[in-house]
Amino acid sequence: MAFVTLHNVTYQYPLTQSPALQEINLKINEGEFLAVVGPNGAGKSTLCYSLAGFVPHFFKGELTGEIAVDGKKSSEATLDEWVMNVGLAFQNPFNQISGAKFTVFEELAFGLENIGVPREEMKVRVEEAMALTGIRELADRSPYSLSGGQQQRVALTSILVMKPKLLVLDEPTSQMDPIGTREVFSVVRKMAEEGMTVVMVEHKVEWIANFADRVMALKDGRMLLEGKPNEVLTSDMLAENGFGISRYTSTAREAKKRGLWKKENLPVTLDEAVEGFAK
Amino acid sequence: MNLNRSFFVPVNSPLHNLNPLTKLALVFSMILPAFLSLPQLAPFLAIPILIAVFIGRVQKQYFNLLLKLVLPTILFMFVMQSLFLPGGETVILNLGIFDVTRESMQSAFYTVSRIFVMISSFAILLLTTHPSELMSDLTRRGLPGQFAYVIISTLQILPQMQAKAQTIIAAQRSRGLDTESSFRKRIGSLVPLVGPLVFGSLVEVEERAIAIEARGFTSKRIKTSLHEIPDPAFDKILRGILVILVIASFVLNLWLS
Repeated sequence: MAFVTLHNVTYQYPLTQSPALQEINLKINEGEFLAVVGPNGAGKSTLCYSLAGFVPHFFKGELTGEIAVDGKKSSEATLDEWVMNVGLAFQNPFNQISGAKFTVFEELAFGLENIGVPREEMKVRVEEAMALTGIRELADRSPYSLSGGQQQRVALTSILVMKPKLLVLDEPTSQMDPIGTREVFSVVRKMAEEGMTVVMVEHKVEWIANFADRVMALKDGRMLLEGKPNEVLTSDMLAENGFGISRYTSTAREAKKRGLWKKENLPVTLDEAVEGFAK
Repeated sequence: MNLNRSFFVPVNSPLHNLNPLTKLALVFSMILPAFLSLPQLAPFLAIPILIAVFIGRVQKQYFNLLLKLVLPTILFMFVMQSLFLPGGETVILNLGIFDVTRESMQSAFYTVSRIFVMISSFAILLLTTHPSELMSDLTRRGLPGQFAYVIISTLQILPQMQAKAQTIIAAQRSRGLDTESSFRKRIGSLVPLVGPLVFGSLVEVEERAIAIEARGFTSKRIKTSLHEIPDPAFDKILRGILVILVIASFVLNLWLS
């Protein structure tokens, strides 16, 4: 059985005219890395909130259908139980800093204090998590004195340290440089190899093509496409529906029309493009 | 910009090493007698306060605070009280319709001493205690986590809001907002700043609520704490002595009055 199941999920925020998610059906296996793409207002963040239990437990509104993680239904659990299994990090890192702690080390321990992890284990886990995301040297800094990219790494680490079974990330690299982005994708890939299930909303399609197992394309709250990264990200449907697509894909698409691209499949990354044009 | 708005001075002193609750007990063992016991007692409490400042090795920061914050406040209060407190017969100074009497000056002196004791003892507490240490110790002793969170996060978030207000002002000025002409115009120009600041903050509050909830803030498990805050026998005995001293000051008051 799939680790995460969404069955006919439709959700509408209070005081809005149309649903943010409509009839979403999705299965994710344990240890799978699923990337979610879509234009603004497609329902990506709402999907993240739904997986993390904030829909329907935090945002009111009407949810129909069923969301299950690890055999448990979100409608039957309380939010504080749910967050023990599902971790959420979202886009704006500044608002994810608790504000209750004065150093990064304390900030990372905040979640562990809340769920009652013993002191010695807490220190070990924080050290491990910092080593994983490469923020060891920030340990004694104030979380507020960091740059956006550094804060984003702290936000990600503060969730990783909780060791969730399902990790939900909503644009976790939006304020990062290419090096930071690479590191985040590598860490997430590594966590997936170790059995953590990952759902990640991201615009950087070249990175998705390199690292994710599967891609889901959302538009207007509906699932438009779903499948292997290279198939979904090079689909004509994405280009026609206003999705952000790789410049290599659009270049090769034009080249194909003029007979300059000989291969069947279009590229997403630079390497694929170089290889294809060299033929 | 100073991002760390806590008063804490990170030095090593006997006062820094006391348990936070003991220091809170010391604060109240100053304030309670100052306000509720004999008025003549309050001025003498300045002596232990000054000793504490030197034991805590925070003299520089304390006197700085005293000069900038405490002294102007209490001087103002002293003048107002001396002028306006009714009653008293021994007129020292006559300023038109106001009489400064010996009695009103004495009463003003006592009030000002009380205020001095209160502000000073809290200042020493804040100068020698890291806020997160104080709060984790109190949470461990049963203070609700939410309450501690509000206190600590206010210390951190206020400077952030100030910074945000500055950013909004700069952004609006670059679009021609008038912030330098007449007072009336400047009041008017505040209006477009309030919206972004208030609504922006409300959105932030929602996101921050989600973020801390995602990290188990409302978990029903018993919370643990990263820092171990020692509470040796010495602290417990000291707190006992302080309780006795406070009670003694009340007894003295009843006995003499």
